Amino acid sequence: MPDDDNLGEKPVIMPHTYDGIQEYDQSLPNWWLFTLFASIAFAFLYWLANFATDTTPDDRVAVNAEMDALEARQLAAVKNLDDATLWKMSRNAKTVAEGQAVYNSLCFTCHGPTMAGMKGLGFRLNDEFWVHGNTPTAIFNNISEGIMFEGKPTGMASQKVLGTGRIAAVTAFLLSMQKEGAMKVIPRKDEPSQLAP
Amino acid sequence: MRPDPIRESVTTIGKDGTRRFLQPSLVFGAWWKARRVVAWLLIAFFAALPWIEIEGFPAVFLDIEHRRFHLLGTTLGLGDLWLLFFVITGWGFLIYATTALLGRIWCGWTCPQTVYLEHVFRVVDRIFEGDHVSRTRLDGRSWGEPAKLLRRGGRMLAYLVLCWAVAHIFLAYFISIPGLYPMITDAPLAHPAAFVAMAVATAVLFFNFWWFREQLCLIICPYGRLQSALIDDDSVIVGYDEKRGEPRGKPAAGLAAGDCVDCRRCVQVCPTGIDIRQGLQMECIACTACVDACDDVMAKLRRPPGLVRYASLRELDGGKTRFLRPRTILYAAMLVVGLIVATVSVLRVQPAGFKLSRPPQTELYSVSAGSVANVFRAKIQNKDEAPRRFFISAEASGTKVTVLNQSAGMVIAPQAEITLPLTLLVDRQDYRGEFNFTLRLRSEDGKISLLQKAHFIGPDPRDLKR
Repeated sequence: MPDDDNLGEKPVIMPHTYDGIQEYDQSLPNWWLFTLFASIAFAFLYWLANFATDTTPDDRVAVNAEMDALEARQLAAVKNLDDATLWKMSRNAKTVAEGQAVYNSLCFTCHGPTMAGMKGLGFRLNDEFWVHGNTPTAIFNNISEGIMFEGKPTGMASQKVLGTGRIAAVTAFLLSMQKEGAMKVIPRKDEPSQLAP
Repeated sequence: MRPDPIRESVTTIGKDGTRRFLQPSLVFGAWWKARRVVAWLLIAFFAALPWIEIEGFPAVFLDIEHRRFHLLGTTLGLGDLWLLFFVITGWGFLIYATTALLGRIWCGWTCPQTVYLEHVFRVVDRIFEGDHVSRTRLDGRSWGEPAKLLRRGGRMLAYLVLCWAVAHIFLAYFISIPGLYPMITDAPLAHPAAFVAMAVATAVLFFNFWWFREQLCLIICPYGRLQSALIDDDSVIVGYDEKRGEPRGKPAAGLAAGDCVDCRRCVQVCPTGIDIRQGLQMECIACTACVDACDDVMAKLRRPPGLVRYASLRELDGGKTRFLRPRTILYAAMLVVGLIVATVSVLRVQPAGFKLSRPPQTELYSVSAGSVANVFRAKIQNKDEAPRRFFISAEASGTKVTVLNQSAGMVIAPQAEITLPLTLLVDRQDYRGEFNFTLRLRSEDGKISLLQKAHFIGPDPRDLKR
């Protein structure tokens, strides 16, 4: 049976007074004290696990490891990217859609929303005429590294901005409008978008 | 006999801090009946909401996974989260206004803690363990005895099943019934996160209803603590008519007896273990059990009911309750303002989103032989459940702005967002320097029309002439 020890009689008033306020000498509920002691124990264990010892993995180490792995994957991907692979990617609807999204967020500003090029800014990309190489890997490298023309950078080096995966996707998007073997190299002065008034 | 509770100590906490479990007696009465009906309606409402479909979605479906919130046919995205401000303030003022008028009517009638504890779990208590007398007797027995093991163990199982069911209903609000069904039929390991969430919810509910109970109201819930600020002498509370009741019991010789016979029935039925005759207390959840108990006794004694009743402190003191007071008027006015603002804001939520930005790392403008061009990136969101065609047009005063290649518009899939490249051209002949203009996003049916202000950047027009 639970005892009725605190019923009926008034609790004792503590002798101290602060700002005219006095308090009864009462116990806190034990479950309440348990939450206090449990959080103290948790804080100690947390400190032990995260700061005093190396039991839990350091976030910085984990992030660095993940970044290294990502870079390794990208390097491996670049090594494996050859013309055949890029052609294959260009026939995959999902990759092409991804590439189109990238194009629509960045490339369009110079090459135009319809890919028809803009005079003085970007070449036309939706025809079979190419100035800086007519192979998928050449296009990939041009997007990735940019193009130097008469000692000045012209095309945009996008490796840092987009990363290998998205550059490959954009390449696939561009190739999706081409036929294998039908891409021709033309001199810069003949590029159609730069001829218009 | 157990001594009376006192105001200075919490009845359910012993002198040494141990928990004392109450076994309140059940009292049937008019208020009890009304409360039970309300409770069952609320439980039915809570259980039914995920099943009711409005415009293809459950009436309430808080789809956290996809960050979409379906409320009574309206779909809100994460971008509409600011509306939550009105939900919270509206709820706050509703509670303020009702508390100032009617005291803790929320606690006694509608709070889930009360609804489930009084109308589900205490019912289970009585089914498995009998009335308060036999439950108290069972408290004193050891678990080794078959009677206790059978009765209390059975109750425990029933609690677990009920908590498990409530947890499932609760989970359905976040993953919908069609989402929930495969999680129930598949193996637990197929949906580990949902399984853990369900197990934790069941465990928390079980702990709450089995062990914690009134401690939530007395010690954790902030609402009870706000009473001293929200209630005044004219708020209707559950109160004891001291003038009529005292002196209680058998009075000393020569004194007229009050109506209270000190039968302690009101103490026996109290779920938080207080004595209502000691006046308004923080622990009182205004559940009206003592009202029913006292009316029952008064009826047996052929005395008028209402010795303990809904009344304001002023009324209990012989005065008349004033319902129109500065605080009730103020709270009600704020509630009305809040409701109006909330309704207008919800109605003004557009089923589409339209944002403009300039692409990074690009030229601000370009000049070709025929025109000056600016590029923008538009983010267009279709929040609707059907695909929609949108058109974009530019409006500027005095200058003709062409949006390149957008005459056919674009179709956006349901609940999708696209990033659209926009090239805006101004004819060189028309160009008179930089200017402000407006881009309009319009749906094909004309129901949606969103505007974004933008600035057209370009060279000094004198440079173009050279």
